[in-house]
Amino acid sequence: MPSITYIPVDGAPIVADLSPDMTLMELALINDVPGIIGMCGGICSCATCLVHVDEGWFERLPAMTAEESEMVSVLDHATPTSRLGCQVRLDESLDGLTVRVAEPA
Amino acid sequence: MTQSATALSPLDYDPFDYRTHDDPYPVYQRLRDESPVFHNKKYDFYALSRYDDCQQAVRDFKTFTSAQGTSLEELKAQVELLINTDPPVHSRLRHLTAGLFTPAKVAPLEQAVRDMAGELLVPHLAAGRLDIIDDFAARLPMAIICRLLGFRREDEDLLRSWTDTVVHRDEGVFAMPDEGMQATLRLYDYFNTEIAERARAGSTRDDIIGLLMAAQAEGRIDHEGVLGYIYILSIAGNETTTKLIGNMCYQLHRHPDQFDAVLADHSLIPGLIEETMRFDGPTQMMARTTTRDVTLHGTTIPAWKKVALIFTSGNRDERHYPDAEQFDIRRNPRDHLGFGGGLHACLGAALARLEARVAMEEILSALGHFTVDETNLARMHSPNVRGFTHVPVSFTPC
Repeated sequence: MPSITYIPVDGAPIVADLSPDMTLMELALINDVPGIIGMCGGICSCATCLVHVDEGWFERLPAMTAEESEMVSVLDHATPTSRLGCQVRLDESLDGLTVRVAEPA
Repeated sequence: MTQSATALSPLDYDPFDYRTHDDPYPVYQRLRDESPVFHNKKYDFYALSRYDDCQQAVRDFKTFTSAQGTSLEELKAQVELLINTDPPVHSRLRHLTAGLFTPAKVAPLEQAVRDMAGELLVPHLAAGRLDIIDDFAARLPMAIICRLLGFRREDEDLLRSWTDTVVHRDEGVFAMPDEGMQATLRLYDYFNTEIAERARAGSTRDDIIGLLMAAQAEGRIDHEGVLGYIYILSIAGNETTTKLIGNMCYQLHRHPDQFDAVLADHSLIPGLIEETMRFDGPTQMMARTTTRDVTLHGTTIPAWKKVALIFTSGNRDERHYPDAEQFDIRRNPRDHLGFGGGLHACLGAALARLEARVAMEEILSALGHFTVDETNLARMHSPNVRGFTHVPVSFTPC
């Protein structure tokens, strides 16, 4: 079964069955990943779904919109490979993707 | 009512009791302190009133499902809507339109909002009087959602009267009144006519209805689902933004120092919006249903019980917000529960923020300082919605 791995700030990795068409944020909430809040429900308005994507995977994700890029760029706790989970639509090609949950802002 | 008087009376939370609608906050404080998991025995539902519990509940849809409806009454509609489904169905439905509701995507509507705001205000400026709700806030959000949905301007008043009726609840009555059911049928008739006209004209507009019709043609949603979707957007986008604008004006009136500050500096308006959403937001609560026994604060909520998540109480929780009972436009509480939270968080939040900001900019620019005629304020009666049906104001004619 294709899967995504979430690494919480504290605690063991959580391996989630990959559902195509879900976003990283939705899958995280479905799998009770601590630290991914999804306060705005995915309309690119809160950044409480920020994840740090492992090197090597970042380039393989669907591209950021200008809106997401702008939002991430003003976050103190973002890294060059951070993404808003709600803006990353999953598909089977992302089987094995690993992301780290961002520390709270 | 004095502190000692409320402390002596038995604690009750009954959202259908009109007497508490003016100022429910003392009851909410008691709930948070004395009974954070409150059981209303009359109607056999539970209520969560603390911030942390409400926030956890909106995230944990597996325990607190929306599938039985988000009203305290029994769910009548069996059609899958955004509001009464969980993942994966909910995700599929939300994805159909979520891309149209990000801040960047709603930003192009700013000029339309500003133009409509100006149109609504100008006729009243010479008189130095207007009703913020009737003359302005009731019309503006409906005009914008009608534009989004592609409805004719001349139909706005009729649509608004139907959506108002859908939301209204008679005092002490649990269920949707007959008038609400009638209004729902009328709305569905209207939507069906609109859809049929578009289909006949071979229209391929890429607005919301266009997207939904295309999704229906691809088998991603059925016809009833399309109607239900439009229904939810018509109600959600209308009522609540109206009440937010009214509540903002009322809170400015009640806090003269902050009113002066905002008048002098419109960059404080976004903070005014977020603090009003926290302090006096238009959505009092939404319900969920437990899918298993849940124990919180030593009380067990049995499975399959309705649970009211009282957002307006969580937003005043001193455990989360210092000086929670103080209104402070500089607080900027982006984590408030005014738009809910989790996967069902208000889809239209960015649009609401845009409309509220532009509406306040135009009101303050056109009216300057205004005074609310408190004797003629009228409050809406609804277990879910918090706000006014009339906010008469006077100002220096211009």
